[in-house]
Amino acid sequence: MIKTIDLGKTVQTSEGQLTILKGIDIEIKKSEAVAIVGASGSGKTTLLSLIAGLDTPSCGQIFLADQELTAMDEEQRAKARGEFVGFVFQTFQLLASLTAIENVMLPAELKGDPEAEAKAKELLVRVGLDHRMHHYPRQLSGGEQQRVALARAFASSAKILFADEPTGNLDTKTGATIIDLLFELNREFGTTLVLVTHDLRLAARCDRSILIDSGVITSEPSKGSDASVLES
Amino acid sequence: MKLGLALKLLWRDWRSGELTLLLVSLLIAVGTVTTITLFVDRLQQALLAESATFLAADRVISSNQPIDPQILIEARSRGLGQAETLTFLSMVFSSERAQFAAVKAVSNTYPLRGELITSDKPFEFGEIVTSGPPPGEIWLESRLLPSLDVRPGDVLDLGVASFVVSKALIKEPDKGGGFSNTGPRVLMNLRDVPSTEVVQPGSRLTYRYLFSGNKEALDDFQAWAKPRLEDNVRMFGVKEGTEGIGNALDRAERFLLLGGLLGVILAGVAIALSAQRYSLRHYDHVAILKTLGATPNGIDSLFITIFVLLGLFGTMLGSGVGYVAQIGISAALQPFIPVELPAPGMRPIWLGLTTGFVCLLSFALPPLLQLRSTEPIRVIRRDIDVSSGTNRLAQLIGVIGTIGLMWWYSEDLELTLMIFSGGVVALVVLSGIAFLLLKSGRVLGMQAGSVWRLALAGMQRRGQENTLQILVFGLAIMLLLILFLVRTALIADWQAQIPVDAPNHFAMNISPEDVEPINKLLVDNGIRSQPLYPMISGRISKVNGEVAKEREEREEREVQTDDDEDRGPRATSNRNLTYAGEIPDDNDITSGQWWAADYAGPALVSLEQDLAVRNGLKVGDALEFTIQGRQLDAEVASIRSVAWDNMQPNFYIIFSPAALEDFPSTFMTSFHLERQNKIFLNGLLREFPTMTVIEVDAIIEQIKTIIAQVTMAIELVLALILISGALVLLASIQASMDERFKQHAILRTLGAGRRLVMGSLVIEFCVLGLFAGVLAAIGAEITVYGLEEQIFQLDYEPNPMLWLLGPVIGAVLIGLIGTIATLKVVRTPPTIVLRGLN
Repeated sequence: MIKTIDLGKTVQTSEGQLTILKGIDIEIKKSEAVAIVGASGSGKTTLLSLIAGLDTPSCGQIFLADQELTAMDEEQRAKARGEFVGFVFQTFQLLASLTAIENVMLPAELKGDPEAEAKAKELLVRVGLDHRMHHYPRQLSGGEQQRVALARAFASSAKILFADEPTGNLDTKTGATIIDLLFELNREFGTTLVLVTHDLRLAARCDRSILIDSGVITSEPSKGSDASVLES
Repeated sequence: MKLGLALKLLWRDWRSGELTLLLVSLLIAVGTVTTITLFVDRLQQALLAESATFLAADRVISSNQPIDPQILIEARSRGLGQAETLTFLSMVFSSERAQFAAVKAVSNTYPLRGELITSDKPFEFGEIVTSGPPPGEIWLESRLLPSLDVRPGDVLDLGVASFVVSKALIKEPDKGGGFSNTGPRVLMNLRDVPSTEVVQPGSRLTYRYLFSGNKEALDDFQAWAKPRLEDNVRMFGVKEGTEGIGNALDRAERFLLLGGLLGVILAGVAIALSAQRYSLRHYDHVAILKTLGATPNGIDSLFITIFVLLGLFGTMLGSGVGYVAQIGISAALQPFIPVELPAPGMRPIWLGLTTGFVCLLSFALPPLLQLRSTEPIRVIRRDIDVSSGTNRLAQLIGVIGTIGLMWWYSEDLELTLMIFSGGVVALVVLSGIAFLLLKSGRVLGMQAGSVWRLALAGMQRRGQENTLQILVFGLAIMLLLILFLVRTALIADWQAQIPVDAPNHFAMNISPEDVEPINKLLVDNGIRSQPLYPMISGRISKVNGEVAKEREEREEREVQTDDDEDRGPRATSNRNLTYAGEIPDDNDITSGQWWAADYAGPALVSLEQDLAVRNGLKVGDALEFTIQGRQLDAEVASIRSVAWDNMQPNFYIIFSPAALEDFPSTFMTSFHLERQNKIFLNGLLREFPTMTVIEVDAIIEQIKTIIAQVTMAIELVLALILISGALVLLASIQASMDERFKQHAILRTLGAGRRLVMGSLVIEFCVLGLFAGVLAAIGAEITVYGLEEQIFQLDYEPNPMLWLLGPVIGAVLIGLIGTIATLKVVRTPPTIVLRGLN
C-alpha cells in the first residue's frame, strides 16, 4: 500500500544544508497498522508528511496505493489525498467556522458526493456525537473535537489513515478512549493505519513500529520490542 | 468546486466575522465612489446648466452677418431649441434727451437658458420672465431710465420707429463683455428691427444664433455645422464662450475627477488590506482543505466564487447606500448650493457597480490567489510561509485593473500612466526611505527607556510589515494632503483672479482736458481707480528696416499652421498704444529692462511677450510705428508678461514717457463701483458725454457665483475622500491586529503591565505615523508640484507648512486611530489570545 525507496529530505538553513531524513526505505502492506516512533526532532513527522503527500522529498521515491506520489504535481497529489488518504492530527485541525457535521461532510463534499450529509451523520453517531452535530469546534471539548476529526478521516472512505500524535493534546483517559475508537474504526473500515507517536503503549497496539533516529531508520523492531529499543 | 460549499463557507465566514472588515471596506468603497460619482454628476450637470444661462443657450453661433439658413433648418430638424439675437450700438431718444445704447433685439424664444428679470421701477428686483419684450415695446437697463428721464409707459425713439418703454431690465443672462455690450442695454423684439431702419449696409452688427438640447445632439450638430461656417464665424459652448467660467469649470472638473480617482485608489487599498488579512487568516483553512483533497485550482475557484458572491452583494448594497447617501447629502446641502440639482441618472449607479467590482477583483485578487500556494504541511508546521511567487497573473490583473480604473476616472491615458509609473517609482524609493527610518528608530530605541525600546524593537522586528504599513499610512495621508493643497491653491487662485475690489468698470475715450476733472470726481466720490493711461491708436510699420507686412508674410510662409489664433497677436494690426513711467501692476519683465520713471531719451518700447514671440521680436530690435499718419522710431527695451485677467487696463505695447507726448491721445482707466452706486454712472456720463464706460460688473458677479458653486463641490468631494482615507487607516491597523494580539499576549504572560503594553502601542503607532507623515510630505510636495504645473496650470509655490503638517498629522492621527483600534489588545485577557493561537 505504501512504499518508499531511498527517501531523503534536506533543507537550507542559514548555517548550511540540514539533513532531516536520509535513505528511508519502508514498505507498509494493505490494512496494516504501523507506528513511526522516535524522539522529538528525529524526523518522524517529516516522514509522515512525505508519505502522506503533504510535503515533497528532496530525493527518493514514494508509492501510495500503487501510484508514484513523487512523480505528481500538487494538483495530482491533492487528488490522490482526496481519494486515498484520511488524516487525524494532534491539533485536530477542524475548520472553526464550520459545525461538527459540516466538518465531517467536507471531504465528501470536495469529491462532490451527494450522500455527504447522510454519511457524516452516520459517522458522528458512530463516534458518539449525535447530540453535538451542530456545535462549532470551540463549543466542543478536546476529546469531542478529536472524535469529529476521526469521523471526518473516515468520511472520505480513505484507504490509508495517517495519524500524527492523535492523543498529544488530550488527557490520558480521553486519549485512551480516542485510541480505542481509532483502532475500532480502523478494523471496521479495513484501513491501512500509519501512526506517528512517542507513546510507546500506543505504538505497541500497532502491528509493528518503525524507529527513527536523527533522520534514519535505526531498526524496524517487531511487535512488542519497541520499548526496549527506545529505552536503550 | 461546488457552489454549495462556497456559499456555506461564505455564510460561515460572514457569521464568524471574518468577512466583516472586507465587506465594510467594499461597502464604504462602493458607497463612497457611488456617492461621489452621483453627486459630482449631478453637480456637473447643474453647473453646466447654470453656466449655460450665461450664454442663454447651450451652444452659440456668433457672426457679424446672417449665417446660411440651411444651418438653422438642420438644427430644427435635429430637434434643437433655437433663438436669435442681433446686437448693435445706436442712439435712443426721449423727448428731452439722447443716449448711446447697446441694443439687443431678441426673438420670441430668447432666452433658451437662464431668465430675464424685469421691474416696473429701475434698480429694484421685480419679476422673473422667460421671454423678451413683445413687438412694439422695449425694456431699458435701469440707469437708462433716469439718464433719459423716462418712466415705464413713456415712448422712446430708436431709428425711425417709436417704442413704448414697458419695463426696466434688471438682469439678462448673457450680458458678457465685448464691444457691442459697452453701453447700457436696450432690449427689443427682433421683429421690430426692420422698422427702425438702423441696420444699414456697413453697420457694426453681431448676430447670435442660440441652440439648446441634449449634449449628444448638440455635439453632433456642432460637428455637422462647424465645417459649414465661414472663417470669421465662431461656434462655441459654455466653456469656450466665457473664458473665466470655462477655466474655472475645467479645473473644477479635473479636480473632481482627481478626487474620484484618489477615492478609488484609497478604497482599493482598503480592500487590498482587508483581503490580505482575510487571506492570512485562511492559510490554515486552506491547508486543511488541501489535506482533505482540495486541489490548488479547486481552492482558486472556491475563493473566487466566494469573492464574486461577496462582490455582488457588497457592490449592490454599496450602490444602494451611495444612492441614499447622496440623496441625503444633496437634500441637506440644497439650501447652500445655489443651483437646482437635476435628478440623478442611472449611469453613475452602473459606474459605481462596475468600479466596485473591478476594484474588488483588482485589489483583492492578488492576495486571494496567494491562497492556492498554501502548503498542506501547514497543518503540521504552522511556521511554513506561503510563497508569493505564483500570483504573477493576479498581480497583472491588479495592475491592469488599477490602470483601467484610473484611466476611466481621469479620462486621460497620459495622465494615468504618468501617475501610475510615478506612483510605482515613488513606492520603491519611499519603501527604501521607510526601511531606513525604521532602522534609525531601532538605533534610537536602543538608547531609550523600556517602553520605547519595546515599541521600537517591535517595529524593527516586523520590518517588512511595518514598511508596508508606513507606505499605506503615508499614501493615505499623502493623497489627502495633495487634495487639500490643490484645492487650497485652486481656490486661492480663483479668489486672487477676482479680488473683492477688482475694477468692474472700464472708462475709455477720455479727452486730455477731462482727465483731471474725472480723476477729481472719482476721488470725491470715494471711488478707487487705476491710473489714467493715454491711448493712441497705431501700428508697427517696419521691423529693423523691413516693411512689417512683408516680413510677416514671409514668416507666415515659413511657419505653416492651421490655427492662426493660437499663435498669438499679429504685430501689424492696429493697436492701442500707451506710455508709462512705471511698469503697470501684474506686469513682469521677462527680458531687457524697464526704463527709469523720468527717462526722457530716444523712444523706447516694451512689448507683451506673446506679441514678441509670435512676431519674432526681441530686445534691441528697431521698430517704426505709424501713428495718426506719422512715423515714429523706437527701440525694443523690454519684453513683459501681462496678467490679462486682472480686470485692469492692459496693453501690448507701452512707450517710454516722453515718446508719445506729441500725439493727441485719449485716456482710459478702470475703477470699482458697488452695485448700489451704479447711479454714479449717470452723473459721470452726463457730465462727460464723450467718454465710454464698459460695465463688466455683471460678468464678474457671474464668475464669482460659479466659483462659489465649484468651491462648494470641491469641499464636498474632499470630505468624502477623507472618509475613504480614514477607512484605509483603519483597515491597515486591523490588518496588523492578529500579530499585535499575539505579541502583547506573550508580553503580558511574561508579566508586562497594561501600562507598558499600552505605552508601547501608543509609541509604535505615533512613530509609524510620524514616519508615514514624512513620506507623505515628500510625496505630496513632488506630486502637487507636478499637478499644479502640468494639470491645473497654476503657479507652484513650495509648501513649507507641509513638512510640519505631514509628520504631525501622521503622528496624531495614526497614534489616535491606532490606539483606539488596539484598545482591545490590552483589554483581552492573554489566556484567550493564547488559546486562540492554537
